[in-house]
Amino acid sequence: MLLVLAIAFTVDADGSAYSAQSASQIREADLSTVVFFVVFAVLTLLISFWAARRATSSSEYLTAGSSISSGQNGLAIAGDYMSAGAFLGLSGAIYASGLDGMFLAASYLASWPIVLFLVAEPLRRLGKYSFADVLTHRLRERPTRILAGGSTLVVVSFYLVAQMVGAGELISLLFGIGYGPAVIMVGLLMIVFSTLGGMRAATWVQIIKAILMLGGSAIITTLALARFGFNVSDLLKMAASNHPNGSNIMNIRGFAQDGVATLSLGVGILFGTAGLPHILMRFFTVSDERAARVSVFYATCLIALFFSMLFVIGYGSIALLRGDPTYANASGALFGGNNLAPIHLAKAVGGSILAGFISAVAFATILAVVSGLIIAGASSAANDLVVGLSGRHLHEGMRLRISRVAAMTLGILGILLGLACEGQNVAYLLALATAIAASANFPLLLLAIYWDGLTTRGAVVGGTFGLVSSVVLTAMGPTIWSKVLGLGPAIFPYDSPALFTLPLTLFVCWLVSIAKAEPQGDWRLAQPAAAQYVE
Amino acid sequence: MDGANLRKTAEVVPSRLAANRLGTLRFRLAIAMIALYLAMMAFVIHSARQATQATVVAADFGPAMIALASCMAFSIILTGLFVLMRHVD
Repeated sequence: MLLVLAIAFTVDADGSAYSAQSASQIREADLSTVVFFVVFAVLTLLISFWAARRATSSSEYLTAGSSISSGQNGLAIAGDYMSAGAFLGLSGAIYASGLDGMFLAASYLASWPIVLFLVAEPLRRLGKYSFADVLTHRLRERPTRILAGGSTLVVVSFYLVAQMVGAGELISLLFGIGYGPAVIMVGLLMIVFSTLGGMRAATWVQIIKAILMLGGSAIITTLALARFGFNVSDLLKMAASNHPNGSNIMNIRGFAQDGVATLSLGVGILFGTAGLPHILMRFFTVSDERAARVSVFYATCLIALFFSMLFVIGYGSIALLRGDPTYANASGALFGGNNLAPIHLAKAVGGSILAGFISAVAFATILAVVSGLIIAGASSAANDLVVGLSGRHLHEGMRLRISRVAAMTLGILGILLGLACEGQNVAYLLALATAIAASANFPLLLLAIYWDGLTTRGAVVGGTFGLVSSVVLTAMGPTIWSKVLGLGPAIFPYDSPALFTLPLTLFVCWLVSIAKAEPQGDWRLAQPAAAQYVE
Repeated sequence: MDGANLRKTAEVVPSRLAANRLGTLRFRLAIAMIALYLAMMAFVIHSARQATQATVVAADFGPAMIALASCMAFSIILTGLFVLMRHVD
């Protein structure tokens, strides 16, 4: 998620955040990188085969049987945030322009209390497979599930394409293979992993990856600080002296230009997390509300720790890599792109083995994130879209089969779109996904949980308004309208429309709900009552 | 479960009441977090626009860094506070 915004500070003129200065400067895979990569690939496959033997029910496949502990879930949630986008993109953003990257980090961390206070417990109490379960405990099922399913698949698809393109570029740079084979390799692993193992496999890979990412980051941080006698002040002074912007890298610069744009971005980040389907699904994997809220606390602490280490890694990269011809050119840009700052720093302080380990962990990160996306999409397809469109609930075996087919379909779609988008700047898709989450999913969840007056018509009209308005306004913003499509000055002046679309969606939901009362009568599809979801 | 429509169950009502038993606390903390975040944002933007060369050079950990760190710290404190109070309740 952080990749899209961090890339804004590191993207090159050709639109690629991972642009190589020249073919000769593309990093060839070290033996250690290949060895670690193979170890992680084999490990993920073993985990998927282990989990597949247990995934004999849809509950086990989609939510790991709600048997994940709060500590495990906290690590898994944190793992979703310790993505390649955060690790590489945030560090690259700090390397390029200083403290602006940490503003993003603080914003994402601030979104987790919002998730805990407003969404986590009700979600666990009222839902089972998707956030649509929470919406439909009072509202009519068919239109609500169709809307929620459509919104989820849109968000997941945008996310998936951006992750696949980023994965292809990253793997291509790290391991010296072509973009196409990289996308296909990641995609095939993802399909096998998600289709067989389900949520339990995805959770355990996230846990293992989170531990490795924290451990690797801690090693890089410690070794980098050791170069300065563990004096952070000295590290920052060296960074300021190395960077062309001098001490200005200690201050926010880019985000200070336009207060409204920054505020809109902040609103999108603050409330978007509480509307992302693959994040919300995490709360169905634990046993009860207590485990849900404790897992959020664990995740918040771990994410804060990770971001703190990224602070040192980012500024440490400036201090130790800028001006070193081994890692950067004359202008200060790192070979392979500024997003490779942590990997270059790992090599500078810990040698090829540490760099290879970190590269392979970045790969594991990608696999874990895309598998979580796939499962969230598969769950929504089976439980929301199919049920909504058919008007019938699925029996257990059919739900499991449809979930697996949907997972495979999404995986194939991800590969095809990833191949089709080679070389294109698709970072805006992540911004779009976040905008939809903040403008459509979150307002619906909020009102469905806390307002008795929400009607089905209000939810559907408001949710559709949020979905369409966020897509349209983002498309009319500077990034897509001017830079991607090249249609001249942007019609909508801000990249993130959340400041406008979120309150408007709430207003539309309220207005339509009060205009006409919910019709009484039997409207629910045959299903267990909501209370039965609390196991 | 197959084919028959069911009426809205009464079990939903206790769930909603349970969700709102500590409604005041969760909304107060949410508002507090939003206010803190907006205050941090306003402060860092203001300090960036007001920063002078002399001021920036003099500080290793500038006011913006401290503001960001404070926001991150409060995120942890408020989540811990909520979890603790829910356990006590």
